[in-house]
Amino acid sequence: MTQVVYGVWDGVVQDGQEGSAPLPELKNFEQFDDGNDIRAFFGDRGFFVFDEKVSLVDALFHYMNKAAEQSCGACTPCRMGTVLVRDALDKMRRGLDADLDFDEIEMLGEQMRETSLCGLGRTCAVSLLDVLHNFREKIEAEVADHRPIRAQHGMAYMTAPCIEACPSKVNVPRYIDYIRDGKPESSLGVLLQKYPMAATCGRVCVRYCEMACQRKFVDEAVGIKTLKRFVADQQKGPNALKFTRDMIQRPLDDSMKVAVIGAGPAGISCAYHLLLHGYKVDVFEKADQAGGMAQIGIPSYRLPKDTLAMETDIIVDLGGRFLFGQTLGQDFSIDDLFRQGYKAVFLGLGCQQGTPLGIEGEEIARDGYHSGIDFLLKVHDHVDEIAPLNLKGEVVVVGGGNVAMDCVRSAIRLGADNVHVIYRRTREDMPADHEEIVAADDEDIFFHTLCNPTRLITENGKVTGVELVRMEQTEPDESGRRNVRAIPGSEFTMPCDHFIAAIGQKVEDGHVMEGDGIALDKWQCVKAGDGLSTSRPGVFAGGDCVTGPSTLIYAMAAGLKAARSIDDWIQLGTPRFFKRSRMRDLINDNKFLGRDVNEPPVRNAYRVHNPELDPDLRKKMFGEVEQTISEAAAYKESQRCMRCYRIYSVVTRQSIPEGAA
Amino acid sequence: MCTDLDIHADRDLTEATIALTINGQPCKGFPNEPILQCARRHEIYIPTLCEMDDIDHTPGTCRVCVVDILQEGRKKHQTVTSCNTPVRDGMVVDTKSRKVRDMQRLQVELLMADHLQDCATCVRHGDCELQDLAQFVGLTENRFFDRERTLAREVDCSSPALIRDMQRCVRCQRCVAVCRYHQKVDALVMEGTGIDRFVALRNGSDQLNSICVNCGQCVLVCPTGALGERDEVERALDYICDPETVTVMQFAPAVRVAFGEEFGMKAGSNVEGHIISAARKIGVDVVLDTNFAADVVIMEEGTELLGRLKEGRRPTFTSCCPAWINYAEIHFPDILPLLSSTKSPQQVLSRIAKTYLPEKMGVDPSKMRVISIMPCIAKKDEATRPQLQIEDGVPETDVVLTTREFARMLRREGINLPDLEPSSFDDPYMSEYSGAGAIFGTTGGVMEAAVRTIYAVVNGKELENVELEQLRGFEGVRSATVDLGGPVGEVKVAMVHGLGDTRALVEAVRSGEADFDFIEVMACPGGCVDGGGSLRSKKAYLPLALARRETIYNVDRKSNVRQSHKNEQVQALYRDFLGEPNGGKAHELLHTSYTDRRREMEHTVKEIWDDLKMSTIVY
Repeated sequence: MTQVVYGVWDGVVQDGQEGSAPLPELKNFEQFDDGNDIRAFFGDRGFFVFDEKVSLVDALFHYMNKAAEQSCGACTPCRMGTVLVRDALDKMRRGLDADLDFDEIEMLGEQMRETSLCGLGRTCAVSLLDVLHNFREKIEAEVADHRPIRAQHGMAYMTAPCIEACPSKVNVPRYIDYIRDGKPESSLGVLLQKYPMAATCGRVCVRYCEMACQRKFVDEAVGIKTLKRFVADQQKGPNALKFTRDMIQRPLDDSMKVAVIGAGPAGISCAYHLLLHGYKVDVFEKADQAGGMAQIGIPSYRLPKDTLAMETDIIVDLGGRFLFGQTLGQDFSIDDLFRQGYKAVFLGLGCQQGTPLGIEGEEIARDGYHSGIDFLLKVHDHVDEIAPLNLKGEVVVVGGGNVAMDCVRSAIRLGADNVHVIYRRTREDMPADHEEIVAADDEDIFFHTLCNPTRLITENGKVTGVELVRMEQTEPDESGRRNVRAIPGSEFTMPCDHFIAAIGQKVEDGHVMEGDGIALDKWQCVKAGDGLSTSRPGVFAGGDCVTGPSTLIYAMAAGLKAARSIDDWIQLGTPRFFKRSRMRDLINDNKFLGRDVNEPPVRNAYRVHNPELDPDLRKKMFGEVEQTISEAAAYKESQRCMRCYRIYSVVTRQSIPEGAA
Repeated sequence: MCTDLDIHADRDLTEATIALTINGQPCKGFPNEPILQCARRHEIYIPTLCEMDDIDHTPGTCRVCVVDILQEGRKKHQTVTSCNTPVRDGMVVDTKSRKVRDMQRLQVELLMADHLQDCATCVRHGDCELQDLAQFVGLTENRFFDRERTLAREVDCSSPALIRDMQRCVRCQRCVAVCRYHQKVDALVMEGTGIDRFVALRNGSDQLNSICVNCGQCVLVCPTGALGERDEVERALDYICDPETVTVMQFAPAVRVAFGEEFGMKAGSNVEGHIISAARKIGVDVVLDTNFAADVVIMEEGTELLGRLKEGRRPTFTSCCPAWINYAEIHFPDILPLLSSTKSPQQVLSRIAKTYLPEKMGVDPSKMRVISIMPCIAKKDEATRPQLQIEDGVPETDVVLTTREFARMLRREGINLPDLEPSSFDDPYMSEYSGAGAIFGTTGGVMEAAVRTIYAVVNGKELENVELEQLRGFEGVRSATVDLGGPVGEVKVAMVHGLGDTRALVEAVRSGEADFDFIEVMACPGGCVDGGGSLRSKKAYLPLALARRETIYNVDRKSNVRQSHKNEQVQALYRDFLGEPNGGKAHELLHTSYTDRRREMEHTVKEIWDDLKMSTIVY
């Protein structure tokens, strides 16, 4: 294990002396990259030095330089303090007379830590103060002879809990800052660095960021998704942001083309980043519209079709090409693509085939039986006026996820008399978004929890009813999780005209790909390694077809990651080291990004919510339920972000290789 | 008006249930109340800078109001900003321990690090909240000041009206708040990060080409000399001192009730007589009253309105307020046809003073120079409008001085206003005014003045009670139905002050929801008595509005003549010179036109990204 020579963490001093208190066990600290030792680490709660020869002045200069660079400048102590301290340390490391002595640096450090407005200012002087309070003689010795200090290698990284929680690592506090600053277009610019589908994400994201938001310890998490939708929706009409080809910094020549298969969120995101990297991109899509599961799987009352189309059109604005009606295995093969000169292929096929329940009567049901995904496809065709669909009678949906909620809420809009949702566990156990469950409840959906279908009743292939059994929870097991089991003899039947199995989806026609040399895993998903490369060189995959049914944001994150890998593969033949990912691993493996329990009290200010149409009105139509918040509400909500930024830095033996852009 | 003038009044003290101590004194706070508010109620002083209670502004950016707290059940003391940290039961607050005092002082010293400290040359000298603050915290040294860095900051002199000096900005964001939340023009943004953070105009434009309308409310809340008017005292003195020219000075209805404070007189004092004496003392040749022109405006606008009502064109918006004109031209150009074409009183007076007056006085019109004293910044801008030039290089109004500049000018002449013996107007042609002209300075005044005259025109007799109480409220938007009698009958009128409410009303008019015949708009909350060119109040927004307004109404009450059309000098003007109101000559001289000045706001993602690179990393 890496040996700490000295350091301080959470106020606990380790000075190598006998009996000094132990520091937390450090994981993954041996080397930063291959053969490159970590010599020291500085963070928001202290620092560790692993190599006695590390220069504290130089290390703290780099740390404070990052702080000065990233300070928002709103509050006085951080705005001036970071700059004054940085400049003083800079002069010291260059062997010059600094404008401040260590007492003054300490004074400014205290001022920053105690009086700054946000997490950045309040933590960026912690390690500096730990050095000055506990190892003053070491740092004074470094500057005693006024000689330049040899520059050290390393890097500094700024992050926040919401950023780390986001699969796409969106700089959330920054885009909220821009709203506060009055620049929603810049806010959108931050989002567009990660993915092109901001308005879509602002409507349907499951919000890992909000789950990590520290504001919930004061009152409620910041409405990050609500704000995202606000900035994205600002961009309509004549003043909408324009996507122009000059966004592509270094266009490559025409032979550098990549095929993206599937125009869903993963494919769109991958195509977007490949285009920005300068590649020519063709997107092959079996449907005749772009959007994939966002298009067919998310009903228009949650995501209007034109909103999505506006965002998938960005691919065309950037010079990408959609080839619709092109199904892998029918119209073309992966071999064909390579023969046509594509340098690499991205598979973003999604999981478009419903999983059957496996109950009696299911295989003979023809009329009135749907898988969740098939049903949503029919709903989509209804909304697009391709094939009108009217439901009458009783609709039973099995499942507790978002697809099940989409099915029940769509069914009520299609005129069903009663809509039921059947779920084998409790309502609290439902994996669907809480808001979706509440909305379904408001729209008079009947919930039957702790209940499971056992047999489908049909007459001449037409569904007429379903037999159900009541379930009960078992005692908690060792992990505290309660399972469920059927209560013998509690079977009952429920009349049913339409039965929808929304319990899961899988990759459609996986065997086709196997013929093309793409290995699948035991769940019949595409096997992809680090960097999302598949078993076939030059073929990459991401999104639901790799992970199984997941979320929009994971798919878009996979698209970005695959685009980087494809670029590395084409340009270098091997993936580049990505230093920010390495830094994230270090922070996450050691759970450094903890909550500061000693935060001062904050005034309560509850979050704003998107206005919603009245349930009685909305359940009769497919118009969008949630509306965009007003400018005034957006300003108010943006004030709630506490900017929990933290800076971490490492000093390494050698220089850290530059990662992908 | 969006500003609630006294947001903390009338709170039921029995709801103050949070028990805490501040400096050992037992105090009661309201739930979620900031420590600062609670301390103020208990008369405990804490130095502040960015905070401004009147506009509910606690951005927590200056960090000067720090105090020490010990929360119940905790061992560790914390330093927090009192402006936005809530009181808690059992909290022990110390506002003046040695540590707190040192931190407050250091904060101010850090604020000074990039604040241009050429105080003697600053317009806020002696009237500056930052200077006060330095005294309050006992600042004795200034270790971090970097002159070079400070001088690198922008001074935007592009506008003829408003100057933005970022070398003196302390980033309190009061200007942003008043523009965004109160006026709802939202012309200002925070630009840049870290040490390079500053207040900028939206869209990266300069002041001249921005969406700012020069209402000047930001100037009223600025704690330092960062915001102010273009100083034109020197140019005014040039004219006054030039023996070859005949200098005419006019001053606005609101100036006389919003000027005495500067010289220690009671707020709301009517100093009309003192101003006349002062003007004469500094060498002005002819002292005229903008109130006279207000009466002329009523004749013109009233006639115009009656004509439009006959044609069924509605509504008509007033056109006296230049910030409103800017607002309409830049933000809602589609409504320009609804604006009255009558020039503002300032321009009407200037034009008559360069035509009718020299004719009467027997002087060469090219020798006339008009200096106007206005509680307004946008009036400077108005004077430079191409539509308001008599010919190339000959403006109707030569110099506009704000009330603040006028005060500076008097000080330069060694005049202390209360020492002067008040005197009266004596110009036989253009200085008499009616009570109707006088009330132009407050919200609802133009409407009331217009109704008095229109009623008489329509009915051939005067209104029985000229004080129209139904027009006199102080709510942001007021509406009333006035029976003008005769063939006109009932008309629906509305009065709005403050651009926040104006926006809502204009949008309602555009969407067809609002149904009015005549709408008075004043861009500044309260009207001209609290105009963006009036005297500044430290740490307060519009604290004297109601006192000034009351004095204006008293001027009206004490007037012998209370209707514009009964002003004998106005009657003579039409008889001897203009002819019919809104007739050929009057229309040519006293009416104007407007242009679409919508700003392009289109961006590409590329531009945005280029800008982001400076302030954020691509993750």
